[in-house]
Amino acid sequence: SIDMLMSSEKEEDPDVIPEDSSLLTLRIRKKALERREETIIVDRACRQETLTYEMESHATGKRPDNPTDLIEEGELLLTLNIFYPVIFQKHKDHKPYQTVLVLGSQKLTELRDSISCVSDLQIGGEFSSQPDQAPEHISKDLYKSAFFYFEGIFYNDKRYPECRDLSRTIIEWSESHDRGYENLQSLKMEDYVFNDLSLKIGFPYLYCHQGNCEHIIIITDIRLIHHDDCLDRNLYPLLVKKHWLCTRKCFVCKMYTARWVTNRDSLAPEDPCFFCDVCFRMLHYDAEGNKLGEFLAYPYVDPGIFN
Amino acid sequence: MSAVPGLREDCEELLGAFQQADTVRFERFAELWRERRFHTIFYGRIRALERNKLAKKTLELAQQYFFPPYSFQIRVGALYLLYGLYNAQLCQPKQKIRIALKDWPEIQKFQQDLLDSQHYDAAYIFMRLRLARAFHFTAMPKLLTYRTKKKIEENYFKEEFKDPSNRVNSLITNDVLEELMNIHDHYQKMKCVISADKSQPDKALSLIKDDFVVSLKDITLEHQEWQQNRMKLLRNAKVTPEAENKKKEETLLESEGSERANALARIKYKSYSAVVEVSRSRRHRQVQLESSESGSSCGKSPSRSKKASRTPQPARRGEMQVAEETVTRHIGMPVITEEDSGE
Repeated sequence: SIDMLMSSEKEEDPDVIPEDSSLLTLRIRKKALERREETIIVDRACRQETLTYEMESHATGKRPDNPTDLIEEGELLLTLNIFYPVIFQKHKDHKPYQTVLVLGSQKLTELRDSISCVSDLQIGGEFSSQPDQAPEHISKDLYKSAFFYFEGIFYNDKRYPECRDLSRTIIEWSESHDRGYENLQSLKMEDYVFNDLSLKIGFPYLYCHQGNCEHIIIITDIRLIHHDDCLDRNLYPLLVKKHWLCTRKCFVCKMYTARWVTNRDSLAPEDPCFFCDVCFRMLHYDAEGNKLGEFLAYPYVDPGIFN
Repeated sequence: MSAVPGLREDCEELLGAFQQADTVRFERFAELWRERRFHTIFYGRIRALERNKLAKKTLELAQQYFFPPYSFQIRVGALYLLYGLYNAQLCQPKQKIRIALKDWPEIQKFQQDLLDSQHYDAAYIFMRLRLARAFHFTAMPKLLTYRTKKKIEENYFKEEFKDPSNRVNSLITNDVLEELMNIHDHYQKMKCVISADKSQPDKALSLIKDDFVVSLKDITLEHQEWQQNRMKLLRNAKVTPEAENKKKEETLLESEGSERANALARIKYKSYSAVVEVSRSRRHRQVQLESSESGSSCGKSPSRSKKASRTPQPARRGEMQVAEETVTRHIGMPVITEEDSGE
């Protein structure tokens, strides 16, 4: 009966703003709507908006098939903003970031595995002479070290024997002179879960991998898990928001995403120049596969590859 | 996040009307809500993503009124408002109300107050919200976003909704009074012990007023009553329709701070306008008073009285007249008025 007091009696269409409203909010909104109707020809959600909405809400309410994967009450849910390392001029006011939801009981390594950065996929080396032999090994497999920096402690990834302690240089540097940083420690990433850490909300922390690819991490929210959240443990860390980066297209066909970049290319109009695979081979190699002209070619991975 | 235009005004208008009604019953609030058809606040062709954001911002705005320093009535009104907005939102699944960890003890105290004062409808509404799982239990009250703000929004508290900030009361609390009583008694006993007559302290030792604790309590009670009456007057003054004497209202609505500022300004004005009349031997070099106020005519210092004042400008004259009138309307607080001496 309490609910009845709130809603109105007759059927109403929530899309129509009532004419004689006493609410200032509605009057303002009505004017904005009318303006929109005049100026916009087709008024529907663009694909970026659909993507954002889908990402935010695709996991709400999900339950796992396996009951052991159910998240219990009292679990903490952290919201992290992980900033991209790209630096473009157009981003100087709003640096692009992805938002990830992480459970308190998850290990730091799980977060590390879920961060997708374009520098992980880079392939090093110049391959103008042997385009077909571009190796399959991406940087992610070659340089496995990474660390997180939270509150004065470096958490290094030591799961594989190739992983090195990247933070050692920093610790040695801070200890060499009295630079005003209190003792920085170095610990193993795989031994800790988020519940063990003491964190500040809104304070920038660091994730470093590949030796010099650094991402700023900011924690925006910590809250208890809720009935309406996704309760399937396997889906966490969950990506809820991603920045859409426009991919660079091939210079020739302007259709496919660039896969090769050339420098000092006598056949290309600009330096550097981007090509998709097909156009690259057609332009730079003849039917037998011989190299035409002088150039340096590198495999290129576009930052927008995760769109 | 940028604010929803017009939303703050609408909420404050509703809460203001609820405060005017001077009750905490839910039926009254529901009437006010239905009058304004507040549930339509989410209407208008809004797509899903925008709808979620709008609901979140609305709930965040409404929950600000739920905590101290707002008065009890406003907090109950905010509870009803939250209930209404939570149920009226069109998002599926519904956006939740964020409550920070540090605020939970206050809310529990608030709920206990409600139960103690038998406002069972408000307590029921709160239980309904809890059962509907309408709350997110967060570490911090505001969800952070990372866009550089064009201007920093300041924390804004509507003056009238606040409980009158009772600095005197917070200093002289019941505990302090009790302790004072104890110390006083102890002191009296000590005096008795060291004086000749064991039942009474020596006359020579009576250095303080015996009943000062009681009179202190009386004074603070008086002050509190005065403050409450003043708040009522301020509120009533706002409600009466804009009549002819706008100036009257304006001076009434001045808070304590600006009264004091005005008084100081008047004193300064008096002191600067009092010009010493030079001796007769230097009559040719009378001091001229230059006033920085616009429109005033500089002239020689005329009369002998020390309280010589320039002809005040029309505005100030009006103000001074009004200042005299305010003496009768304010209770007890002295107002410095200037004598209106002509030139």
